[in-house]
Parts: sequence; structure tokens; C-alpha cells
Amino acid sequence: MNEEILRIDGLRLAARGPDGAIPLVHGVDLAVRRGERLALVGESGSGKSITARAVLRLDDDITASGSIRVGDTDVLTASERTMRSIRGRRVGMVFQDPLSALDPLVRIGGHIEPLFRARGMRPVVARSETAKLLHELGVPDASRRAVSFPHEFSGGMRQRVVIAMALAGDPDLVIADEPTTALDVRVQKQVLRVLAESTSRRGLAVLLITHDVGIVAGFADRVAVMYRGRIVESAPTSAFFSDARHPYSQGLLRAVPQLDRPGRLLPLDRASIPEPDDDNSVLVEVGQDHLVARSALAAAPMGAA
Amino acid sequence: MTATATPQRRAPRAAGAAFAAARRGWRTRHRTAGSVLDVVGFAIVGVVVLTALVGPLIAPDVYASHIQNARLAPSAAHLMGTDDQGRDVFWRIVVGSRTTLSAAVITVILYSVIGVLIATVAVLAPRWIGDMVMRVVDVMQAFPSLIFALLIAALMGPSLQSSIVALAATGWVVTARLLAGIMRETLTEPYVEAARTLGVSTWALLLRHVFPNALPTLWVKWAGDLGITILLIGSMSFIGAGAQPPSAEWGAMVIAAKGYVTSAWWGALFPGLAIACTSMGFALVGDAIHHRLSHRVKGH
Repeated sequence: MNEEILRIDGLRLAARGPDGAIPLVHGVDLAVRRGERLALVGESGSGKSITARAVLRLDDDITASGSIRVGDTDVLTASERTMRSIRGRRVGMVFQDPLSALDPLVRIGGHIEPLFRARGMRPVVARSETAKLLHELGVPDASRRAVSFPHEFSGGMRQRVVIAMALAGDPDLVIADEPTTALDVRVQKQVLRVLAESTSRRGLAVLLITHDVGIVAGFADRVAVMYRGRIVESAPTSAFFSDARHPYSQGLLRAVPQLDRPGRLLPLDRASIPEPDDDNSVLVEVGQDHLVARSALAAAPMGAA
Repeated sequence: MTATATPQRRAPRAAGAAFAAARRGWRTRHRTAGSVLDVVGFAIVGVVVLTALVGPLIAPDVYASHIQNARLAPSAAHLMGTDDQGRDVFWRIVVGSRTTLSAAVITVILYSVIGVLIATVAVLAPRWIGDMVMRVVDVMQAFPSLIFALLIAALMGPSLQSSIVALAATGWVVTARLLAGIMRETLTEPYVEAARTLGVSTWALLLRHVFPNALPTLWVKWAGDLGITILLIGSMSFIGAGAQPPSAEWGAMVIAAKGYVTSAWWGALFPGLAIACTSMGFALVGDAIHHRLSHRVKGH
């Protein structure tokens, strides 16, 4: 079970700007093991989405160095043909906005069946597999609803369709990029449960990208916090919520409403968060599987790692 | 879609009955005017298509001359009179409808295929090739296409075939430019990216998502283009570069009757009217399709 589905080492990403490269991600190390659910948490612009998109090499105008390995394929050097065999088949993706991720002119079934067909299934089989999958994800009357158009589905139902698209290619890893941001809170919970159940039934690893610490606790096995293009803390979920070490992680946790701490919502105090750089972002082990950037250990002498 | 639109339409009634009534009235009138024109458009096109299909089967011989009947005014025997050869103008228009319509359809199909291919190359090829293709399109568009078509027709020798080739060789430009724009835009849609992310190949993306999204626009363009092409084929015949006598092609009929238009106006007027009505019919159908499809797509 410790096989790594995804391993990212020293990943640096930069956008091509008019005056040269603009660095966006400065050396990220990350691993997702088979069947593991990892939440990558951070604010907008911290580099979490672009890191996830780099796994499938989705952005042509981004330059990358370091390495991203999906199974034993190095994504950054793979051919376009190899990438196509990874997209959908090894790594599925759930998108943020379920309305814009579905073609308004294509029926629900038409979004999913081709992905089954691509695995060599006959049309009839693909159709029944589609209905089966939709049914499993909680779409009522699935075989009849498969001929509906996206606009006839509610937001939550659409997101189930998007999840079905991610699962249809039988991947080892599903990347969910803010899968619930476009949904209301009650539907968020249902969709996350559907995502959790359907992936654990298949033993799939999930990389959940989110800025919402509130949805992480019930979903992820492990949390990695990203800040300003670097990972500043990585911990098992329980350790993260009980014993976050980095000031930014602690700030994120304080910003989440909690029943046992009424009236204690605090905005992030940026001044207390050390600006991450190459030197102070070296991760130090502080507990079982719990790593934190050196900058957080103010008491520890520099170079203790 | 109707179900979701209705409550919104009803909402202003709560805000103010007078306002709502005015609003409803405007909508009703607007829709009626639109749908009357839609019906007119579809009726014209329907009649023309039907005529082109069955007309030539039931028409008498429209090529043999009966000089003794030359230039008879419209009457019960000859609804639209006769031309200078004594041939019935009405039946010539009926028979000519197949010539004119099929020439227009072939032209539009030919240049649409060229346009689709060029647009696909422009969008999918490496950027510098795509840019080059689009600059060629710019140059082509700057060039007066009818003059270019005349040149081609003159080189090939005047005939209906050469006017089809000439119009196809110049007509693709707008289609290519329009389609390239739509394709570029659609390729950046999140659902196209989503499909790409899940491993769908570029060709499958084009067939499943990009072309279907261009279709509403293309239907409108095709309808309008048929009308314009009928006019252009008539024009080519009229200036002598297209169909030649004794063809009953409508433009050719107009030019043939030009010499005696002062004494027998019907010889030129009725084929001219046929061209004008048919063009207008296709334009109205284009509008009707546009209204319906844009409504449908926006409804999402």
C-alpha cells in the first residue's frame, strides 16, 4: 500500500512573462501513495492549482524543472502521446466549476461514454457502464437521465457527472481541483461524500486542492499546506488539526469557525508569517510523517536539520 | 428552458402591473413580427425547393422556340408572358429554379469544405503556420471577390460550372475566418479543457465539442450564403461569365431579356423577382435559425 502513485521532487514552475520568466512555484516535494487522500491547502495564488495542473502538463506556457513522476513515467519529459495515455487513464481530474466543465450541447451520457469507449468498450457496454457509474454516484434514474443535457441538471448533480468523467478512465489517482467551490455548502458535503466513497471503493488516491480547511478534516488522510509557491507544512490530518506548527497553518486553522471555540475567528496576521525562501523552507520532521518548514521552528537553531 | 424562463418573465408583474403588461405586450408583438417573417422565409424556401425538385418533371419543353408566340404579355395561357423566342417565362423560371438552386448549393458546399479545412489548419497547426494562413485570408478578403471570380470564370471560359468554381474559390474566405474564430474560442472553453484533461484526442475534441459549437453560427451563415450565392450566380450569368443561353438559369434569363425590356418587361422582371425573393427567403430563414439557436444556446 506504500507504492507512490505520484511523486513530485523539487518542482519549480514559472510563467513566461514579457520580461522573462515569472517564478510561481519554488521547489515543491510531494508524494501521494496508492489509496491515500491528500489535501493540498493554500490561499489563491499559492501555486496549488498550477502544481496539480503540471501533473497532467496542462499549461503549455509554463516552464517546469524538477521532476513529476506518475507511476514510473516522468511527466516533464514524456511525449505528448504518453501524456494522452496518462490523462484520464492514470490520472483523472475533477474540475472546479461543474457547469463550464460540461459542454452545453452534449448530453450527459455523451460526456462519459466516450471515455469508456476509449478503454475499448463497445457502445452498448459503454452506455450501460455509464448508467451504472452515474447510479453509483447517486444520480437518480441514471439511464434515463444520461440523455439529458447539462442545463437540466442541478449543480450537485453536474458535479457528480464531472466526478463520473474522472472515474470513467479507471485512473489510479484523481485530482480534484476545488471540486466544491462552485456549490452551496449543503451540496458540498454530499459531493465530497460521493467523491470519498467512490474513490475508496476503488482504492484510488485523491489529491484534493482546496482553500477551504473546513472540508479537509472529514476527507483527507494527510494535509500539505502551500504558501507562496512552497510547501510549508505536511502532516497527517489529525496531527495537522491538533498540532499545526507553521504560523501560516495555524493562521488557516484559526480562520475556520469551530463549535468549541466560539467567537475566536481571527484574520491571518501576515506579519507573523515568515516569508518563505529557499533556505528557511527546508522541511524538518517534527513527528510521525509530520514535516514543517524550518522557518516555523524559531526556537530551533538554524541548521538543526 | 421554457419552464425556467417563465417565472422570470412573470416576475415584473409583482413589481408593477402596468410595466409588466407593457413588457408582455412588447414581447408578444415582437415575437409575432419575428415569427411572421420566419414563416414567410420558410414558405419561400419551401416553395423554391419543392419547385426545384418536382417542377422540371411536370414542365413542358422550355427550350424550343415558338417565334409566333414571341413577347406575349402575361395572360391566362402564359402566366408571366413569353420571351423573344416565344418560350413561357413562368415555366422557364420553374425549370431554372433547379439549375440556380443546385448551383448555389454546390457552391456553398464546396467553399464550406474549403473553409472548414483552412480554419482547421489555421487553428491546429503550429502558430506561425496558422498566422500565415490567416494573413492569406486577410489578403483574400481585401480583394473584391466578384472581380476575382470573374477572372477565374474568364480563364475557364464562361459557363455555369466555371462560375460555381469561381465563386467557391473566393467564397471560402469569410467561412474560414469566422470558423477559425469560433474554433479558437471554443478550444479555450473549460469543457474542452476538461475533455482534453481526460485524454480525449484533438480530433475527437474537434468533432465532439468544437464543430457542434460552431454549427449554430454556420447554419445561419449557410442560409444567408445560399441567398447571396443565388444572387452572385445570377450576377455571373448577367455579366456573361456564367450560364449561357438557352439555359433557364435565372440570371441568364434576365440578361437574355435585357435587349427588349422596354417592349416586354416581363421577360426580365419575373426571373429578377425570383432571384430577389429566393435570396430574401434564405436570408429570413437564416434570421429565424439565428433567433432560435441563439435562444437555445443562451438558455443554458
